[in-house]
Amino acid sequence: MVSLTDLAAGALLLGLIMYATFGGADFGGGIWTTLASGPRKQEQRESLFHAIGPVWETNHVWLIYVVVVLFMVFPKAFAALFTALLTPLVIALVGINFRGAAFAFRHFGRQTGRDVPLIARSFEISSMLTPLALGMAVTAIAGGEIRLAAGRVLAGPWDWISPFTIVGGMIGLAICAYLAPIYMTVRTRGELREDFRRRGMVAALVLGVLTTLEIPVALLDAPEFAARLGLPRTLICIALAVSGGTVTEVLLWRRRFLAAQIGAGATVAFTLAGFAAALYPDLLLGQLSIVAAAAPRPTLVAFFTVLPFGVIILAPSLFYLYWTFRGSPDPEAPPEDFRV
Amino acid sequence: MDNVLAARALMGLSLGFHIIYATIGIGLPLMLMIAEGIALRTGNELYRQMARRWIRPAGLLFAIGAVSGTVLSFELGLLWPRFMEFSGPMIGMPFWMEGYAFFTEAIFLALYIYGEQRLSRRALFLCTIPLTLSAALSAVFVISANSWMNTPAGFTLEGGILTGVSPLAAMLNPAFAHQAVHGTLAAYAATAFGMAGIYALAMLRRGATPYLKRALVLAMAVGTCSLPLMLVSGDWAAAFLARNQPAKLAAAEAHFETMAGAPLIVGGWPDPETGEVNFGFKVPKLLSLLAFKDPDGVVKGLNDYPPDERPDPRLVHPFFDLMVGSFFLMALAAAWFWWRTWRRKDVAANRRLLWFLVLASPFGLIALECGWLVTEFGRQPWIIQGVMKVGAGATPNESIGLVFAVFLVVYILLTGGLMKMLLQAEPPAVDSPAGREGRHG
Repeated sequence: MVSLTDLAAGALLLGLIMYATFGGADFGGGIWTTLASGPRKQEQRESLFHAIGPVWETNHVWLIYVVVVLFMVFPKAFAALFTALLTPLVIALVGINFRGAAFAFRHFGRQTGRDVPLIARSFEISSMLTPLALGMAVTAIAGGEIRLAAGRVLAGPWDWISPFTIVGGMIGLAICAYLAPIYMTVRTRGELREDFRRRGMVAALVLGVLTTLEIPVALLDAPEFAARLGLPRTLICIALAVSGGTVTEVLLWRRRFLAAQIGAGATVAFTLAGFAAALYPDLLLGQLSIVAAAAPRPTLVAFFTVLPFGVIILAPSLFYLYWTFRGSPDPEAPPEDFRV
Repeated sequence: MDNVLAARALMGLSLGFHIIYATIGIGLPLMLMIAEGIALRTGNELYRQMARRWIRPAGLLFAIGAVSGTVLSFELGLLWPRFMEFSGPMIGMPFWMEGYAFFTEAIFLALYIYGEQRLSRRALFLCTIPLTLSAALSAVFVISANSWMNTPAGFTLEGGILTGVSPLAAMLNPAFAHQAVHGTLAAYAATAFGMAGIYALAMLRRGATPYLKRALVLAMAVGTCSLPLMLVSGDWAAAFLARNQPAKLAAAEAHFETMAGAPLIVGGWPDPETGEVNFGFKVPKLLSLLAFKDPDGVVKGLNDYPPDERPDPRLVHPFFDLMVGSFFLMALAAAWFWWRTWRRKDVAANRRLLWFLVLASPFGLIALECGWLVTEFGRQPWIIQGVMKVGAGATPNESIGLVFAVFLVVYILLTGGLMKMLLQAEPPAVDSPAGREGRHG
């Protein structure tokens, strides 16, 4: 029998997955704006810029979702994590601010016929800073450096930096860089699509290498976490992530873009699920369990009472949004029906 | 800087900044909905232009509102982890519902702003309805969390242990109703008067066009409708405070000694050392009358509280008076405007009136910020009235002063960038043929 607290932890993981697969692609757009290269450099930038436009705000609401679930349902974990991870979270926040503002400024500037290079730069830099910092913060909860005594955090201001979390931050970056070009393949055509296809395939290899690298790093630097990688539930997730990534790569090779898009999202979801499976039943590895961090039962009941109403309102609205802005990334152009 | 002070300063800075954009984010959708609705019903293109011209600045302002809101959700944990550890189970629910409302708002805003080429006009209008509703609901839910801090409910404490948690009772705490009504309507008043000022300024500079005239009437209509409701809900708030948070009322009114037939003090500088108000203007018995509908009602004074449980009236009374004063300034502007409209139907010819509308335009937002300062400073030293003091809710982390400095720089850069973009751009109130708006980029 699955307990209410486990279900709530599931809702938290779902929020994190949604943020990674939607918000992540959004950050990835910024990363590939920086790394745009080749003869179609400008087209790459333009199409990424247009694709982010209508959806960036919604993509980032998932982060607020994660934060709210954390403090409503797991207030003790919220207090501990936000105390121990002050520095990376502040860095991520500064990045989120500059990125959002830079994007909005740039969009506004374009419409009024101005292009400001400084703003473009800060959009690009913050697109990398934020996923790196958030990736480090998320992996730090499994790194074993953050310790609690009587509910109070015992951690120095730099304890969140370790080989394990550095690789974790790079995985965060790689997830973003992986999703964006693959999502773009269904929204572009011709040579531009080939550009994104190649970039997606390279990023997939980078993500694969980094996640594989994290295993020996964990053995050396985060043994508690490494010990849980061998659990059956973790192994199942890892196997699913590996096969998801491989299938996606094949789909990209064979230019089955729509299926590749779904495969890429699933690969990221399984990667995060694997991390969560290893963490379970804790929220802060070895220090704070899901049950110990949970709010009183009436709060959990309230949480799950509101949830379906939210889904009823949000699911069709989100579908309408993504459906309206399907096809060509330029929202000013009518959606073209891409046959893929 | 002391850590708790730094945490308070940062939270205050972030909220004060966010409130500006959140207010526009609540008020503007209503204006868009009305303008699009009229355009669809009457086929009058001017109303449609009015709405569509707000899209670009709206995109900018909403974006800043969204990121500054994200900062706040993080700061709850970064600055006040011990407060949130205690309160999360109770105030989590309104935040949870606010999350949905904000999500809905972001979706329909994106559809409205970016959807011009992909959606029908009817669909665009229909998008403004959930946009307006969810924006208002966001405000209502967030205010519920704040009102819980003023009148905590939905739990019992037994020897420091939290029991009997009821998130619903917490959400519907006693102060919720009046704060939600007062706070949400304030956003409508602030946005409408702000817009009226922009249109009035455009008339002064470029002369009155039919477009500007209609836009001004619409903005003034929305602003004026919210004013009497502000007065009624404000009176409701004062009466509520007199019974439930008398220390806050006393600080707002600079009222030191408990007495029957208390006077209302307008202006002046309260001195907590002597318990006197210097240079204030006293209206006999008015405070008792306003608080209890009885000129001889007994109004509790600040001196009834131990010194370490008194809010500082120097931080509350001036903001309270500025809030009330702003109301009367806007009411005067509205009265003049409608009186002229009714008498001669040519507002645009009276430059003095137009200048007065420009002058009054920021006071909606000023009043809103002041109202927020009154409710926050008036609750001091409590973070949860009677349950937890501010210092006990703060983070044990040191170096919050540095974080404050970082965000101060971030906000200065954001504000500077925003000003530069908005001021250099074509102001939305300018008349221009639709073709010039162009569809580049």
